[in-house]
Amino acid sequence: MVTKTLGVPLFLGLAGLQLVAVLAIVFSSYVTSEKVLMFHARNLLRNVGFNTMEHSRSFLKPAHDGAELAVRLAQNDIIASDDPVLMEKLLFQQLQLASQVSGMYFGATDGSFVFVMRDGTTGNFRSKIITMTGGQRKVHLIWRDSNFNALHELWDPADDFDPRSRSWYQRARAASGATWADPYIFFSSHEPGITLAAPVQEKGRFSGVVGVDIQIDEISHFMSRLVIGKTGRAIIINQNGDVIAGQNEGLLKAKDASGNLHFYRIDSYGDPIARAAFANLFGPDTGPPAQEVDRHFTYQGRDYVALAMPMSSEDLPWTIGVYAPEDDFISEIKHNRTTNIWIAVAVALCTGLAGLALANRIHRPVRAFAVRSALVAQGEIDPDAPPPRTYRELEAVNAALTQQIRARREAERQYGLTFEMSSRGMAQLDPVSGRFLRVNARLCDIAGRSAEALSRMTLADLVLPADRRILPAGPELPASDFSTNQELRLARPDGTVVWVRLNAISIRDSAGKALHAMLTLEDVTHAHEQESQLTQLSRDMTALVRDNTMSQLANGLAHELNQPLVAIAQNAGTALYLLQQRGDPPGPLQETLVEIEGQALRAGEVINALRALLRPDAGTSAPFRIDSLAGQVLCLIQHEADDAGVALRLDCPGPLAVMGNRVQIAQVLVNLLRNAVEAFAGTDIPERSVSLQLRSLGGRIRIAVQDNGPGVPRNLTLFSQFETSKPEGLGLGLSICRTLVQMNGGLLWHEGPAGGGARFCLTLPAADLPAPDATQTEDTA
Amino acid sequence: MSDADFTVHLVDDDRDVRRALSRALLARGMPVQDHASAEAFLAAYDPARPACLILDYGLPGMSGLDLQAEIARREDILPIIFITGHGGVAEAVRAMRGGAIDFLEKPFRQAALMERIDTARSTALRLRAARDHQAAIAQRFARLTEREAEIVRQIFAHPAETSSKELARRLDISPRTVDHHRARILEKLNVASVSGLFGLVAELSGPGPLDQLIGTAAQATPGQGQGESA
Repeated sequence: MVTKTLGVPLFLGLAGLQLVAVLAIVFSSYVTSEKVLMFHARNLLRNVGFNTMEHSRSFLKPAHDGAELAVRLAQNDIIASDDPVLMEKLLFQQLQLASQVSGMYFGATDGSFVFVMRDGTTGNFRSKIITMTGGQRKVHLIWRDSNFNALHELWDPADDFDPRSRSWYQRARAASGATWADPYIFFSSHEPGITLAAPVQEKGRFSGVVGVDIQIDEISHFMSRLVIGKTGRAIIINQNGDVIAGQNEGLLKAKDASGNLHFYRIDSYGDPIARAAFANLFGPDTGPPAQEVDRHFTYQGRDYVALAMPMSSEDLPWTIGVYAPEDDFISEIKHNRTTNIWIAVAVALCTGLAGLALANRIHRPVRAFAVRSALVAQGEIDPDAPPPRTYRELEAVNAALTQQIRARREAERQYGLTFEMSSRGMAQLDPVSGRFLRVNARLCDIAGRSAEALSRMTLADLVLPADRRILPAGPELPASDFSTNQELRLARPDGTVVWVRLNAISIRDSAGKALHAMLTLEDVTHAHEQESQLTQLSRDMTALVRDNTMSQLANGLAHELNQPLVAIAQNAGTALYLLQQRGDPPGPLQETLVEIEGQALRAGEVINALRALLRPDAGTSAPFRIDSLAGQVLCLIQHEADDAGVALRLDCPGPLAVMGNRVQIAQVLVNLLRNAVEAFAGTDIPERSVSLQLRSLGGRIRIAVQDNGPGVPRNLTLFSQFETSKPEGLGLGLSICRTLVQMNGGLLWHEGPAGGGARFCLTLPAADLPAPDATQTEDTA
Repeated sequence: MSDADFTVHLVDDDRDVRRALSRALLARGMPVQDHASAEAFLAAYDPARPACLILDYGLPGMSGLDLQAEIARREDILPIIFITGHGGVAEAVRAMRGGAIDFLEKPFRQAALMERIDTARSTALRLRAARDHQAAIAQRFARLTEREAEIVRQIFAHPAETSSKELARRLDISPRTVDHHRARILEKLNVASVSGLFGLVAELSGPGPLDQLIGTAAQATPGQGQGESA
């Protein structure tokens, strides 16, 4: 059996629900925030990219403009390409205007060359001028300050520099327009730079190339000032994969075996994160990305976002790469998320605990009530004791429960009283062993044994061996209901035998399992004795009647008497006829003869009544005509009545039939009528009458014998044996009469009618009127 | 028929009863024959004479009921008045079922007995007259020839086709012959017409007696019924 308590599910439910709710909110807001922040991050990266682009463009623009100017001046013969002094001055001025330009130069088709460059970091300048005058080649080196004053001059005949052999010259000549060379690291300054070369056309004829060297380390400086998140970086990658600018300038330059400096390619760049972000965009087979590439990658367990933006300029085929760790943007909210989760867990725990406490608080009265109910059920607490404070609903339950328990207790108490105080012997039997579990005092009396002795015995041990077959075999109660109601005899230890009426039923639980058997025993020994006495008496009385000799005697007597009576009556009749034939007037002779005939006929009636009374169907109970019997009985008593001067009267509404023993009923009626007639003896009552009254009362017929005699003496107990008001009477009459009536299913009682006299009534069960031919034929057959 | 032609038989084992009753009847001019037992009665009894029987129910030897049964078996016309000292409804019912006129319980008033005897006499005479009448009719039928009986049978078999023509066709003889036979039949049976013939037979009780009187068609004319139907 699983016991369910309120606390645990309440705790789990509250804590779990709380946790789930908070986590849902946390994750939802986190996802939204992350999305927004990442959007902003990309925008930031893009802005950085655009910034860098713009800066690079604006950075390179003055150099471009300077070169353009130089070209235009040369083409328009404002500065003749063959005038190196003017050219040097122009280039010097341009150089001073644009600080990012490290050097400007003009190479002519004849191999002459003018070159002005900054001299390191001193702020001074250096010029190299190669002239080809009259086939005479001269190389003039001049060091100047910022005011164009010559600080030092040198002629270097060893210098064999020929601008026409340089790549920038050849490219510009082929391109017939300004061309940007791929960035490289300047030999002189060891700084990254880029060269712009523009051809000069004089009068439609190519006359030379103007070149501008621009140091682009400034772009790196600019980029190092950009703030990209916390630790974001930006680089510029050339179309050939070289990293030409970056926030960490030191990472750019690599030295080859011969000591020449060159750029690192992106796949060997010193920043591994940048490598991871962009290296695969510049593979050997793939060019620079044509469009903006948005990347998200993981390096060493950290998440990064990266953006590669082409500058979309034919002159500068560069790609800006920007990257930053995601954490720079969302670490706060990640941290916040973790915090929130912990807060959620803490809150859930608190809520759960609060729920537990609440459950406990809610449950406490219930638990107290449950404990109390259990104790009440075990009988350790009186159900009337005040219940613990609890809920109204439970109080209603408690009230109902208490009432039930009280009712059950009362029922048990009453049952116990009934059991103990019963006038019958009562016992409970064990369903398995058949032993007595519980007996009351009366049972001990009947059995003549102590309760202690009975507890070791079974019912069969008490029963007389001859009567044991009534009981079920074996000690166990049979599976079916052992329900009996019989009379049997018990043998008591003192040797006497008692008759008991045994009632037994098995008590079962709702599943049908036998709990015990309930016995009740009633001592019917006395009733048995009475009954056997009565039966004996009845047997004795009916024996005479049932005996055929009586009936045969009556029949023979009737026949023998009837024959002379026939002769008498007929002779009297003949005599009367003869007198009539003779025409004699009526006189004493005729009267005499009439009387003779009448008396003979009356004698015949008496005899026939007696014979009918003693018919040999006497011993059985059968339906018969009570009105006929009444007539016959009155016939028999007529003589006595006449002697006593009593008028007999039959009061009968019509044919009536009763069920019973005809002879016994006749005996009773004769007895009652005779008593009534005899009651007049010794009195001087003038109008003496006895009436026999028959009435149908539904299912019963009532017969009343009433006289107007002196009535029954007050001190006389009727119906008891040996009590009589008659001097020579034995007093058995009424008691036997009552027995006989009762044996025939009726009652006999006495009423003292208001008008005096005595009235004895008896009832008998009514029967359907017997069809005369059917029943009577069978009787005789 | 006068009282003198009607005999009252009396059977009772008690001599005094017989004597008293005989005296009472003789006083009224009735011829009485008394018998001490049923056997004695049967030995002396002449069924041809109209009579009635006063019979004791409880006779020793052959009982009153046995005697009643024997008389019924002989088909004699002899009304019985039972007298008995064993008065009981059952006995009375058995006796009356056997055809007794009445059942008197002993002792009884003479007047009651005389009434019963009057009833018995009229019953006996009526039954005898009916029997004689039937015997006379039977005798008349007996005088019919075979052919005439056949025609009578045909008339009763087909009561709607009794003209000479129809009968002639049915019997395969000439109508004149039929006319001749019919006249003889009416004369022999002493009736005026064929409808009178029907009335005569109606006096007999049911068709059985007719068959007894003239036999059945199949017995009498074996071939003709078949030839006619072929």
